[in-house]
Amino acid sequence: MTTISRDLLGAIGGVPRPETDVVVDARDVNKWFGRLHVLKDVCIQVKRQETVVVIGPSGSGKTTFIRCVNHLEKIQSGRIFVNGHLIGYRETDGGKKLAEDKEKNIAAQRQEIGMVFQRFNLFPHMTAIENIIEAPIHVRGMAHEEAMVMGRALLERVGLAAKENVYPNQLSGGQQQRIAIARALAMKPALMLFDEPTSALDPEMIGEVLEVMKELAREGMTMIVVSHEMGFAREVANRVVMMDEGVVVEEGTPDQVFSVPSQERTKTFLSKIL
Amino acid sequence: MAASIFSRYGTRRALLVGCLLVLALSVAGCSSNYPIQPEYFWDSLFKPSPAIINGLGLTLGISVLAQAIGVILGVFAAMGKMAKFRPFRFVANLYIWIFRGTPLLVQLAFFRFGLGAAGIFQWPEVVTGPLDILPEILAGIVILGVNEGAYMAEIVRAGIMAVDPGQTEAAKSLGMTYGKTMSRIVLPQAARVIIPPLGNEFNNMLKTTSLLSFIGVYELYNTFSVAAGHSYASFELFGACAVWYLLMTTIWGLVQSRIERRFSRGTEQSSSGGAGPRNKGFAERFMALRSPIEQ
Repeated sequence: MTTISRDLLGAIGGVPRPETDVVVDARDVNKWFGRLHVLKDVCIQVKRQETVVVIGPSGSGKTTFIRCVNHLEKIQSGRIFVNGHLIGYRETDGGKKLAEDKEKNIAAQRQEIGMVFQRFNLFPHMTAIENIIEAPIHVRGMAHEEAMVMGRALLERVGLAAKENVYPNQLSGGQQQRIAIARALAMKPALMLFDEPTSALDPEMIGEVLEVMKELAREGMTMIVVSHEMGFAREVANRVVMMDEGVVVEEGTPDQVFSVPSQERTKTFLSKIL
Repeated sequence: MAASIFSRYGTRRALLVGCLLVLALSVAGCSSNYPIQPEYFWDSLFKPSPAIINGLGLTLGISVLAQAIGVILGVFAAMGKMAKFRPFRFVANLYIWIFRGTPLLVQLAFFRFGLGAAGIFQWPEVVTGPLDILPEILAGIVILGVNEGAYMAEIVRAGIMAVDPGQTEAAKSLGMTYGKTMSRIVLPQAARVIIPPLGNEFNNMLKTTSLLSFIGVYELYNTFSVAAGHSYASFELFGACAVWYLLMTTIWGLVQSRIERRFSRGTEQSSSGGAGPRNKGFAERFMALRSPIEQ
């Protein structure tokens, strides 16, 4: 059994402190893929140290939404603020229009936002430790020795100290995903995004990844999680957001949404997956 | 190690066939009225004159430099072709279109002689320290390199496209800029796809340099060509010239397989250094390329 240490965030020098109380403030976000309207006036707020789990059927726009939060997807209208900064765009014409920001500025904004993908996306030409220290060294400019100390601490705390010099393709899916989480944490982000982090895993590996995420939530990391893991949502989410067809259908505490859903669509969805 | 590579590619058998062919040709040469002079053949192989050594050096040096220019231009042209900004795409496509659509010989003539005749550009002689690069050599390196870049562009582009888009997304979400994403994440992985055809390109380059004889560069072929003109031993000398090229491309083949192994890092399941006498079966190798989750 994998043991996940307490004090995961100790490895990166404590809980990264967001600058604002509302870490994510998405206002009236609209997105089209061609003629398909995938996000319709989506408003979601995430407060400091909150864990928000986004649920909904496939095609509901939940993954698209969190990809907009670090500007992996463009939006056509609305505003997304993370840590008080408008993500991906500059306001022009007295705040009426949006113009895409410079690539350099977008890259700088993304340093504050960690992202964990469904398919891990570890760099296959780098060992576990190299994956973790890559961005701290080449983006943040951290000294190699310092990055190694931090990287080893992170690996140890996600229970993979022994895999330091192993390439990703020699690791199980669960191990790869834990390293992917460590890699994102190494940038000391104010916010962590998880895009269906356990969907590509064999059932016996889901637990070890969820353990890491639960520990992060307990320690006060601000997180948005797109997931079908209702047990996880019940246990650690401060809020659950239900999306369907690009619309936020309802949101509330896990108890409210799971036990007494107010919307018909939520009831239908929950009855299918629970 | 070398022996195992030879047997793997059936090179030993090829060598045998080659020797028999040379023997047959010699017999044919002897039975005709041609006064064969074997010492020309053997001497230019085992006691090469300073001119031959110089020609060899030029061929190797020009090949390496031209290929390097080709790779660099190829990377830029490939990124230009894939750029969002239309003028970049236009310039890249124009470059590739022109240099792949015209014969190298015409390019050499145009840029070496044509530009000078029109008074547009004279190739300079470059003197740096002990090196004295003659105008025709400089022109040869540059034109070969630019021509090669147009072919490398497609190879590099295919390599970049072979990299999982998730890699770019992961790099971006860690705050990497386009340049960092390319140089640290995408190109090193694209290299695995690029290296085998790049090796073939360099093999080609070693041989293509012989065309520079046309603009007066005394590389390997031209050196032999001049000697053949003076000696009436063209059979022996051009035969020896071919052997020199064969030697260069063969050694390169060995180097290439080493480099390919080095770049396959992170794609094999087991990390054991030596594979031992038995090579991995196809199925085993195929499975090793897939990530554990798909198995």
